[in-house]
Amino acid sequence: MNKSNGEGYPNKPVQLIIAFTAGGSSDVQARIVEKYWKKYFNDQPLAFEYKPGAGGQVGFTEIARAVPDGYTIGGVNVPHILLQSLSPQATFRKDDFVHIAQVVNDPQLIVVNQNSSIRTLNDFIAEAKKKDGQMTVGIVGTFTAHHMALLKLQDILGVKFNAVPFQGSADQNVALLGGHIDAMIGNLNDIMRYTEQFRMLAIASENRHHWLPDVPTFQELGYSFTSDIRRGFSVPANTDPAIVQRLREGFQQICNDPEYLNEMEKIGQPAAYLSGEDFTKYCDQYYEEAKQLIDKYELNKKN
Amino acid sequence: MGMDVFQPLLQGFAAALTPQNLCFGFIGCVLGTLVGVLPGIGPTSAIAMLLPLTLILDPTPAIIMLSGIYYGAMYGGSTTAILVNIPGEISSAPTALDGYAMAKKGRAGPALAISAISSFVAGTLSLVGLTFFAPTLAQLALHFGPPEYFALMLLALSVVINLSGKSLIKGLISAVAGFFVAMVGMDPITGIARFTFGSVELMSGIDFVSVIIGLFAIAEVLSTWEAQVTPVIRTKLTGLMPTREDLRETFPAMLRSTVIGFFLGLLPGCSPGVTAFIAYDTEKRFSRVPETFGQGQIAGVAAAEGANNATTSGGFVPLLSFGIPSGPALAVLLGGFMMYGLQPGPTLFEKNAPFVWALIASMYIGNVMLIILNLPLVGLWARLVKVPYPLLAPIILISSFIGAYSVRNKMMDVWLAIAFGLIGWLMRKLEIPSVPLILTTILAGMLETSIKQTLSMGDMGIYLLFTRPISLTICILALLLTISSLYGRYKKIPLPGDAEEFSSESFEFPDVIEKKRPVLVKPRRYLHVPKTVYLVREHDRSRNVAKCGSLRMRQAGEQVQR
Repeated sequence: MNKSNGEGYPNKPVQLIIAFTAGGSSDVQARIVEKYWKKYFNDQPLAFEYKPGAGGQVGFTEIARAVPDGYTIGGVNVPHILLQSLSPQATFRKDDFVHIAQVVNDPQLIVVNQNSSIRTLNDFIAEAKKKDGQMTVGIVGTFTAHHMALLKLQDILGVKFNAVPFQGSADQNVALLGGHIDAMIGNLNDIMRYTEQFRMLAIASENRHHWLPDVPTFQELGYSFTSDIRRGFSVPANTDPAIVQRLREGFQQICNDPEYLNEMEKIGQPAAYLSGEDFTKYCDQYYEEAKQLIDKYELNKKN
Repeated sequence: MGMDVFQPLLQGFAAALTPQNLCFGFIGCVLGTLVGVLPGIGPTSAIAMLLPLTLILDPTPAIIMLSGIYYGAMYGGSTTAILVNIPGEISSAPTALDGYAMAKKGRAGPALAISAISSFVAGTLSLVGLTFFAPTLAQLALHFGPPEYFALMLLALSVVINLSGKSLIKGLISAVAGFFVAMVGMDPITGIARFTFGSVELMSGIDFVSVIIGLFAIAEVLSTWEAQVTPVIRTKLTGLMPTREDLRETFPAMLRSTVIGFFLGLLPGCSPGVTAFIAYDTEKRFSRVPETFGQGQIAGVAAAEGANNATTSGGFVPLLSFGIPSGPALAVLLGGFMMYGLQPGPTLFEKNAPFVWALIASMYIGNVMLIILNLPLVGLWARLVKVPYPLLAPIILISSFIGAYSVRNKMMDVWLAIAFGLIGWLMRKLEIPSVPLILTTILAGMLETSIKQTLSMGDMGIYLLFTRPISLTICILALLLTISSLYGRYKKIPLPGDAEEFSSESFEFPDVIEKKRPVLVKPRRYLHVPKTVYLVREHDRSRNVAKCGSLRMRQAGEQVQR
């Protein structure tokens, strides 16, 4: 580790840890990064290593505990890493990672079946009030981004929902397609397949998304609510700052490469570059908010 | 749908038959057969490993190849299950029950051939279902919500009773142990760690592959080593190909397992492993000689292998129609679709029709390739049992370790496989069947998820199950099956040591027929006894015990003449 001031980095293949299975969204995205990686990183290959399990926690732990020499980088998901670090069974801390860049911002939406009588967010709120806590809303997992979003939404809209947790977006989508739940929180990337069967009521991002230009933001409808899943790349804490700098610069170039952006569009992942510094700021902010929510709903005490 | 399918399908065949697509389809089928044969290394890891190839290949040949790996693996999975009692894939675990028993009797050839034929028949018939009714069937599957899944899991659980062997209590012990194994790791919904003892690695749970490798492969090697016998090798091979009678007897099983495998395969989460067990159990219920199941009943082999192939075609229905993967292998394949920007879903049939139809056509061609590939291999594989066990055992062990490691690239999985090997060895000593354990390990995740979801769907609690027509029907069916299985267990011909006690050796009737006169007894349990099947009781005066079983006289007669 002594030799480096970032110069000549990388001079050998770099290992990339993916905390999900091969072929999953994280992997597909990282494969696009890989295509451009060599161009900006001395023609060195990126070696993929899959460490799936426990909602990413196994792989994230691996990243946090890797040798901080810059030759192990990892794909991280936010808020997964933040919520997992807040859980009573945390195996890493928020500050065990140094972020290189954010590459994807996948906002959440409130979605109902096309056959539902709910047509707008106002209908949705009215229905939730009418059903008085019995309205079933599908989310992915508990203690997850979706769970936090649902809790926040309850506060903001002043209603109560009956959360039905699913294992993943696939079975959640099936349940909404089949009309087994009233509504769900879905991510843009996952629901784009079903634009004909689903009705999107509102998107939890700052601006409308160009894939769904007719779907209003919560902001427009008078509710200050944003929620999303972000993908980024990180290295373990204590990595040489010069190497971190080199990685950050390289990723900035990759993420602004027009061909890269074209391919991201093709695979249906909403590209949204943020520099390592800005990504870190966002993480810190989310962390504080989530901590308050967790305390408020005493989510940690149940365990 | 209907007639308008033919033209695109023909165009699909034209596309699939181009040299390039044909070639990649063939590579996929060969690789699939190979990963199927190797225990542990399954289609999921193989597809994942080859996924980067999609960066170079065109979408059609690449997806054709990756799909070939998936359904090809179902052909290969039965090979080691039959020859050495080690299922190459979990979906071939029920195949081992009768396939290995057949191999012990020197009938490895017919068992292997029947599994290839059954795979082909079921694979092709279910493709017809995929071709003509995909969108309609996908709609049908949507009627299954969490309560229906839970009911379905209850139904699958009733199979445990029939797989319990001699003692129901021991079967249940095994089943409960399976739930415990599945419990290790994170709660599928809340993410709370259970029984992980603070280990990060255990948080991701115990993988099925380690369990089957341990219970089947390693335990088998241990038991054989301990017994100092070489069970398989001594038997002569009696004919490589199935007789006409074998075919006649297994044909209905193939059709039934196609229907079961295909329709259950439409439901995301119903893996080939689950459907193979259900089809096996169904066949046992349909059979006039249910007590021969587990003793080398060829229909059992046909049912399990037919069902797992039909399930793979069934799984393409929700994948292509809704972009919903039914299991891990299809999830990786979906990743392949995504890399090409092919969004599966209703629009796929419209926007990428040439691709979809080329893929479907390639599966018909692939099934033909696989049977051509697998039938001649039967002779080669069957001879494998002649390899001396001291040579075979280390190969089995090494491939087991590699298989266990390859799933998640973790040494822990190898240690777990070894631990399960010891557990499996112990279970054999205590005569606790391992199959219920495997079945409940497969079912536990969905059982738990679906009940939690059902309970959170309203304030009706578990009664929700009985308010929805589909789940109510399935619940009633599960109850009936349970009752009939229990009734079957206790209403058997009351003799000490019932039919299940027949080991395959004691089935060598020529001896029996000559030494001890068999007595034809009136069938009590089975109303329809075909002409060739008789219930036979033999009385061993020296030990003063009576055994009963059934045998086909024709077959016995043949052997007597020799």
